[in-house]
Amino acid sequence: MLDLLQAAADGVLFGATYSLIGIGFTLVFGVMQKLNLAYAAASIGGAYAGLLILHVLRGAPASAVFFCAFLAGGVLGYVVYVTCFHVLPLSHPLASLMATVGMLLLIDEVIVHTTAGMPQNYPALFEDVMLPLGSLTVRGDLLLVFGVSVLGMIALLLLLYRSRLGLATRAVAQQPVAAQLCGIRVARVNAMTFVITGLLGGLAGAMIGASVGTLSPLISTPLTTKGLIVTVIGGLGSIPGAILAGLLVGGLENVFQLYRGVTERDLYVMLLLFAFLVVRPGGLFAPSGGRR
Amino acid sequence: MKTLASAFAALLTMSAFLVTSGTLAQDKTIKIAGFGAKSGVVRSFGINSEAAMLAAAEVINQRGGITLADGSKARIAVDYYDDRCTAEEGISVIRRIAGTDAVVAVGPTCSNVAEPLFGILQKKVGDAGDSGLQFPIFTDVAIKGGLAKISEWAFRNVPSEMTMYASLFEWLKTKHPDAQSVYGGVEEDFAHSRATWYSVMKTRAEASGYKVLGESKWLLNDTNFATQAREMKRANADVVALSAHPFTTCGVLKEMQRQGVKPKVLVGLTSSSSLETLQGCATQAESMIIPTSYAPINEQAKFAATQTAKFKGTADLHSMAAWENMFILKQVMEAEKISGDKSQLTVDRRKIRDGLAKLKATDGLIGITKREEREAEKPYVFVVATKGEWKVLYDPSKM
Repeated sequence: MLDLLQAAADGVLFGATYSLIGIGFTLVFGVMQKLNLAYAAASIGGAYAGLLILHVLRGAPASAVFFCAFLAGGVLGYVVYVTCFHVLPLSHPLASLMATVGMLLLIDEVIVHTTAGMPQNYPALFEDVMLPLGSLTVRGDLLLVFGVSVLGMIALLLLLYRSRLGLATRAVAQQPVAAQLCGIRVARVNAMTFVITGLLGGLAGAMIGASVGTLSPLISTPLTTKGLIVTVIGGLGSIPGAILAGLLVGGLENVFQLYRGVTERDLYVMLLLFAFLVVRPGGLFAPSGGRR
Repeated sequence: MKTLASAFAALLTMSAFLVTSGTLAQDKTIKIAGFGAKSGVVRSFGINSEAAMLAAAEVINQRGGITLADGSKARIAVDYYDDRCTAEEGISVIRRIAGTDAVVAVGPTCSNVAEPLFGILQKKVGDAGDSGLQFPIFTDVAIKGGLAKISEWAFRNVPSEMTMYASLFEWLKTKHPDAQSVYGGVEEDFAHSRATWYSVMKTRAEASGYKVLGESKWLLNDTNFATQAREMKRANADVVALSAHPFTTCGVLKEMQRQGVKPKVLVGLTSSSSLETLQGCATQAESMIIPTSYAPINEQAKFAATQTAKFKGTADLHSMAAWENMFILKQVMEAEKISGDKSQLTVDRRKIRDGLAKLKATDGLIGITKREEREAEKPYVFVVATKGEWKVLYDPSKM
């Protein structure tokens, strides 16, 4: 029983990294009804870019790396928007989808060519801390990732519901034509959505790098898959759903691994997704109807 | 004055002739193809092997090139192809190479490419009923044991992991007599890592008298190793042997540190005795012991590393095998008297194959490599991660 609880606890905390990626997927989908498959790769790209500060300022603190990753994520988000959404006709859904697939591969390949594929040591915000929780132990850094996910969610919800930009974003999400007729610059709102999710993505990438301890281009494809699963299970367009689904997928994944082994683990995660698609296709927090 | 002018003119003519004859000495070009991953996550393997091959070719050409059957000299040119470490790309690349005037190929990077790729070669030389590709391939990196058995056109210059780990566990027995048990960690979805743990490390540890307590498994692109580190902690083995490539080796080592898993001895996979591991987790890899077939332990090994660095490559057990391959091929091409004529391409390829098959021993950078059945048994040393560098811990040849 203790093993089960420990595995679930480890997984739930690591699932916070999936939540961070899921939030990015879901926000873009909520606003534009488009999937940005390059999101996880751009997040990892942002995290890599954060390491550049160590080349400029040797011995720079981890917080500087995180801040650079945060900014680079925003820049990459904007680049993804311009190249995959702005210049492509949005009326052709496959065009932007395939463009983001191309961007995913491009970002991955740029990382590989820059680093020769070598894993890069990633700094942590603080030294390894294992916190006792009864008979269980939990990782302090993953608690921080979890905290950042929750803070990210709160910040995004405040932005969406307590700011003019949020009002414009929701207007564009619900009725882009009407929003445009009201004087809202739709392209600008969409671009801001990508920049904001990009900023969050850069931070998420840095958090993931710090929690794994090492960055490798190997991470981006599995993260994309997990991010998509989390987005679908959480409910496309639902930010709280993405967080909850990330923790759920992370926890169950580890439990599956404990009982069925690493080679069957992903099979059960896919079955979980399939079960949701059959029983609750709208996900945990399915939008009540229409665009949100 | 007239005599002086004539002598000067004669000198000039002679110099011009010498320069021209120097060029003429290498007016033919022998093409050697290299192939490996130059993109994807093991791109560093391809970059380093290509650099080593280019560096070796430059050294050979500077020393006069290759002597052909008619006594003339030829220079070596290297074309390097990217197989992305995928089987389909590898097979496509080797077919392209076979369509060029390359006489032999050095590669590929990954065992999962080598295995299917060797499968498209003719199995037995001269078998008229087998329409497989008749092209010699001399592997520098793909390390999974026994791959050359697949085809008589396949040759390897990679270390024998079976020999190296047998020797390592025997040596550990003498150095750490108190260590009795071994626990493994394995990248379950990677052909080489998997084969090395189950067929090599585990069996050699048992043969050396260790009790193998079990193994934890993970996948090549996993990021969470909490469960595996807990299993290791619970096993509380004296020796932990990780059969994994640098990315997950680092991930596991960091998780082991978090959870306070501190075995008496830490053993790593041959392929992880490279810069990647130190770049990813030098602190956590401190004191990890790995057997390897390359270390800069003598002048020629250092020279090869310096030359390779000029082409922006790093010397490691893989790239230095590519360096050695170039010199072995030079020796074979000269011994077998290849013509270097395009019209004789098929004959030259066959001669190279036959020449490689005859080799019983070859000169390597750190010693003599014994060869049997197209496989190699390279000399090796044990290296240990110390303060961000791989230092030689033990050299069996000096015992």
